[in-house]
Amino acid sequence: MMRRIISSMAACAIVALLTALNAVAAERPALPELLKALNVSGYPSVMQPPEFSGFTADGQKASLAGLRGRVVLLNFWAAWCLECRPEMMAFEQLHRELSIQGLAVVGINAREGTSTIREYAKELGLTFPLISDPTGKINSAYGVIGLPTTFLIGRSGRAVALAVGPREWSAKPARALIQALLAEPAVLKGTR
Amino acid sequence: MADYSKFEALNVQILGISANIPFSQKTFADSLKLPYPLLSDAPDLKVIRNYGGLNPQWDMTTAQRWFFLIDLQGIVRGQWRGSTSEVFPSEPILKVAREIAAKR
Repeated sequence: MMRRIISSMAACAIVALLTALNAVAAERPALPELLKALNVSGYPSVMQPPEFSGFTADGQKASLAGLRGRVVLLNFWAAWCLECRPEMMAFEQLHRELSIQGLAVVGINAREGTSTIREYAKELGLTFPLISDPTGKINSAYGVIGLPTTFLIGRSGRAVALAVGPREWSAKPARALIQALLAEPAVLKGTR
Repeated sequence: MADYSKFEALNVQILGISANIPFSQKTFADSLKLPYPLLSDAPDLKVIRNYGGLNPQWDMTTAQRWFFLIDLQGIVRGQWRGSTSEVFPSEPILKVAREIAAKR
């Protein structure tokens, strides 16, 4: 009798938990709304961003494949780009707050030397990886023709969002989108 | 792109074809707010090759900046060759498009 009461209590607890999770999911706006709120464009679900690999200004090897399973915020920037500067501070903030939850903030520089990148990182106190792209190969593969340009990639590796020009990355719409992506599983239904 | 509405008024559908992958083309199109579609000819470059437009300066891996005007019967009515270093004027193409429209 006691065992039956305990098992029915456990069943009730599971039902309550699932109801609560459903309520949380229902409260979260759908992806198109989140993209619209941040004024960024989306991608068809099958579109994968191009693979890249390179070195950070500190000589560490980095690649997109190495970030699979994490939400990637990929920002293309240059030291001469004035509009990139305020974004960098927001990216640093997001990196410090959300990397523990699975966010990988990565900067791809546009055709500048490693000493310029290192000085810039030191001046702004940036600690997230800044990859050097001296020949512009990665910039070209991503079709970047203006700075700043930022991409969001989901945990499954699919391209999610494109922002041409600056955005308020530490404000609510950006955070809501990133949090929604962090809540996604690494393998989405129907993808592999 | 500034003359896009002039082409539209003459019922000309603009299509851009390049050797880039669709992902890269989307960034390019969003960056310039292009009002017409871009088609990817990667990786085979079949269309660009068939039009004779592969660029020898880039080891035949990209398209040259060429323009073709095709009429409603599918006949090429004009071909223009631009360079990557300057904006190609749309007036010569519009002139032929107007002539085609006048005969319809």
